[in-house]
Amino acid sequence: MQSPHRPAAAASVVGISKRFGKASVLENISFDVAEGEVLVLLGASGSGKTTILRIIAGLEMPYTGKVILHGRDVTELPARERGVGVIFQSYALFPKMTVEKNIGYGLRIRKRKRKEIRETVNELLSLVQLEEHRKKYPSQLSGGQQQRVAIARTLAYKPEVLLFDEPFGALDTQTRVHLRREIRALLKKVNVPSIFITHDQEEALELGDRVAVLNVGHIEQIGTPFEIYNQPATEYVATFLGAANVLEAIVRKEFLEVGSARIPATLDKEKFREGDCVKIVFRPEDILLNRGDLPRSGEPRLATARIEEVAFVGAYERLRLRLDISGGEECKTDETPFYLTTETPERPSTKSIIATRPKPEASATRLHVGEKVAVSLTSFTVLPQKGTK
Amino acid sequence: MSTVAAMRHVRGFDVARPLSIGVLVLMMLPLVFLPLASIFIFGTSNGLDKFWGALMQPEAIFALKLSMATSFWATVFNVIFGLFAAYVLSRYNFWGRNALIVTISLPTAIPTAVAGFALLLLWGPYGTLGRLLTPHGFQIMFTAGAIILANIFVTFPLAFGVIKPVFDTMSRSLEEASATIGATRWQTFWHVTLPSLRGAIVSGALLTFARAVGEFGSTILVSGNLAGRTQTAPLYIFAKFNEGQIEAANAIAIVLALFSFLIFSVLFFARDWLDVD
Repeated sequence: MQSPHRPAAAASVVGISKRFGKASVLENISFDVAEGEVLVLLGASGSGKTTILRIIAGLEMPYTGKVILHGRDVTELPARERGVGVIFQSYALFPKMTVEKNIGYGLRIRKRKRKEIRETVNELLSLVQLEEHRKKYPSQLSGGQQQRVAIARTLAYKPEVLLFDEPFGALDTQTRVHLRREIRALLKKVNVPSIFITHDQEEALELGDRVAVLNVGHIEQIGTPFEIYNQPATEYVATFLGAANVLEAIVRKEFLEVGSARIPATLDKEKFREGDCVKIVFRPEDILLNRGDLPRSGEPRLATARIEEVAFVGAYERLRLRLDISGGEECKTDETPFYLTTETPERPSTKSIIATRPKPEASATRLHVGEKVAVSLTSFTVLPQKGTK
Repeated sequence: MSTVAAMRHVRGFDVARPLSIGVLVLMMLPLVFLPLASIFIFGTSNGLDKFWGALMQPEAIFALKLSMATSFWATVFNVIFGLFAAYVLSRYNFWGRNALIVTISLPTAIPTAVAGFALLLLWGPYGTLGRLLTPHGFQIMFTAGAIILANIFVTFPLAFGVIKPVFDTMSRSLEEASATIGATRWQTFWHVTLPSLRGAIVSGALLTFARAVGEFGSTILVSGNLAGRTQTAPLYIFAKFNEGQIEAANAIAIVLALFSFLIFSVLFFARDWLDVD
């Protein structure tokens, strides 16, 4: 999915860290954004994504590290000298200015000629399709229209980079989906590097050329949406981006041992050694089910399972399965298992998994609670387990 | 009781409504309406000619002009100061911030006579500062300057009090947006912050002005009350009343009453215009 040649970086963040008092909120953050590329910083609240954005914009100073925009180190420059465009969550349109005054603001304070301002404003108004609203005030516009004004306002002065601070946060789901497609199309037209921050994984996958997943102040993984969804580098990434099943396994020659079950797999010898404890991660939609003991022809079987729950959730059917993999060797870990803190004493992730089936399949073969099925996996990712040797 | 309930039930008519409105008006009648009305009734009882004649006395005209001028300068100062103080106190957090806010608001709680007295003690010929300045020919007390000082003191927190809440609720992201777009602090203040404060500035100014025009307690102490020199309109009313010239006092009283009425009408009816987004 990743293009073989990544063009030169238009905007880079190099080794940024940030502290508020003694609390470290960012640790050694680095990434590049290419011309015309959309990078999404995805993270839960408190992951530090807003702070990164504010540091790039110059509204916050980093503790260490540099911000480089088109080859120029701007770390020491105040916000107004950086030439970045920030689209705030609330849009921050100037309430006492009309749409066209808002869009022309950047050029007016740069003392450009009236004619030039008028022409640029006209161009941008037609780009964001707001020509008939030019004389209106922000309070007279819908959320989506306000957002387009905010984007046009930054494009007017040809920003080095566009920064979007949770731009769809204040909108309802339908508008949100519609708007992000519109904005993605718009961004492809203007060819400005853009950085979005969001906590919505669906939004991240759809908007980003690349996505950086943030977790408490550091980047867990950065890659194309396909990569981070299908080849998560860490368990956090796997579970943060949609539902994921995680099973503990032991590395053997040419297969992985999951309890009493075995999955054929050839692993990178450099990364994994025989006897290592690992985690295998797979998505609910990576699971194929077949009634009875045997998988469908050609599919390697993981194990058999009992159906514990069947739920119809709109676009697909969701099943909870208990794998029949008791026995076999258990992983010995030094790690304090996180489930000790939960109320369930058993290891929920090691035995019970979630599978989904698309509607056609769900209606063709009905499955019921208590039935026995053969479980096979179409794809999975193997992650090293932290704290084990 | 049953009649009221029955009436209400049968006619769908809420008796409490006209009843409570009536009580309200009746209560206000002796307290507000009648005193105001009597100014107009007395002032014009001898005919409009007499009223006009009393108003056109040079001393009366001077008193009105002096009131307007001193109030104007006090208003200009207090609006600029209020704007500045509101900006500093809502944008920066520092040790002693709350103490400053309380101190700014204090003058409204001090009796105006005390305020005038305090100014005298500072600037008067034997005052703390005045003692040092008088030998050099500088004496601000008993001049129009003293009236402005007194007006500034008693209306000190009014404009600030109106402007500061608007600052507090104004989203920081507007100013941040302006900065990232490339504006200097001054440009941001001029183009973004100030327009949002327009309503607050206008109402703060009207409030300050109205209050300053009516100031009596402090001005009578610091001005010297010299007719034709340092006598403001309220002092003129008081002086003429003491001399038994009720008609002369009344003419100015009518003008001041109408004037306040005008200002508060503007404040009330222009509210929508002032707050328009």
